[in-house]
Amino acid sequence: MKLHRIGVAILIVILSVTLAGALAELPSVEQRTSTSQLTRRVIDGGLQDTGALNLVSAVLFDYRAFDTLGEATVIFAAVAGVVMLFYQAPLHPSSIGLSMLAKRSLDSIGPFVFLAGMYVVLYGHISPGGGFQGGVILATLTILISIVYGLETERRLLDPTFKTTLESSAALLFMVIAFGGILTGEYFLSNLSAGFPRGEAGSLLSAGSLAPLNAAIGLKVGAGLALIFYSMVKREPE
Amino acid sequence: MNWVIALFDAGVIGVLLIFLVISAGAAIAFRNVLNSVLALSVFSIVLALLFVIYQAPDAAMAEAVVGAGLVTALFLVTISKTGATGGDG
Repeated sequence: MKLHRIGVAILIVILSVTLAGALAELPSVEQRTSTSQLTRRVIDGGLQDTGALNLVSAVLFDYRAFDTLGEATVIFAAVAGVVMLFYQAPLHPSSIGLSMLAKRSLDSIGPFVFLAGMYVVLYGHISPGGGFQGGVILATLTILISIVYGLETERRLLDPTFKTTLESSAALLFMVIAFGGILTGEYFLSNLSAGFPRGEAGSLLSAGSLAPLNAAIGLKVGAGLALIFYSMVKREPE
Repeated sequence: MNWVIALFDAGVIGVLLIFLVISAGAAIAFRNVLNSVLALSVFSIVLALLFVIYQAPDAAMAEAVVGAGLVTALFLVTISKTGATGGDG
């Protein structure tokens, strides 16, 4: 027991020293932006290439959209696994929710949480945020509802089959938009070069396929994570 | 006046970094897993603040929402379902 603790301590010290050494080796921000070709390319040409003001979204959904597809696939597999694992468990509507005070509080803030989630999803190509962050906010809202109002209310409000359908169709939407690039003779997941409208930079309908891809990812992540929480919660302890 | 602002910046970042280390250590050190989960939640909030200061709002938003919101909720559900309390057992 004692030996085990000493070993862990030594390991932590070695790791810290290595990480601190690596941190000292890192170039400064100014150095990096002035020397790295890739950074300069994205910062200088990002708006021209993608029409998106938020360069992080430009990288996530245009330059490296294929990586985002992979990420979405990982979440899809995780959701499928959790749902399959807990599929047999019957629903026990155990909780009738919290007090009246908590319910009225959620009534007041719930719409605003929903609004914030939708805003973060839909304005992902203009302001910080994007499909993933906004989707998690939307999923958090369903978690709040199932805690405050009880699981049965949440199930009546948003049927699990509806959530499954929503997640799958959002994934399909992503693929349809991605194949749009091939149909116009460009590459998989091509954006502006495939004829998606550029629009005026900074307006809601701009940056070509970025906004619909963001919306698809937002719905997919939101529905998927809500499904994971629902599947885990509905199972009663044995 | 510039050096006052610089000192203030360094102070805020330093305090946040110290909080980060403390909350990470607390998450490991607590015997009760419930306390560990809450310490991890605090860790995520402080890390999100640091991301904002270092001008990475996208990462900050993801960290705050996932780390403090979703993961905490999932951990709490897991703890309540498995009845785990922690300790060395």
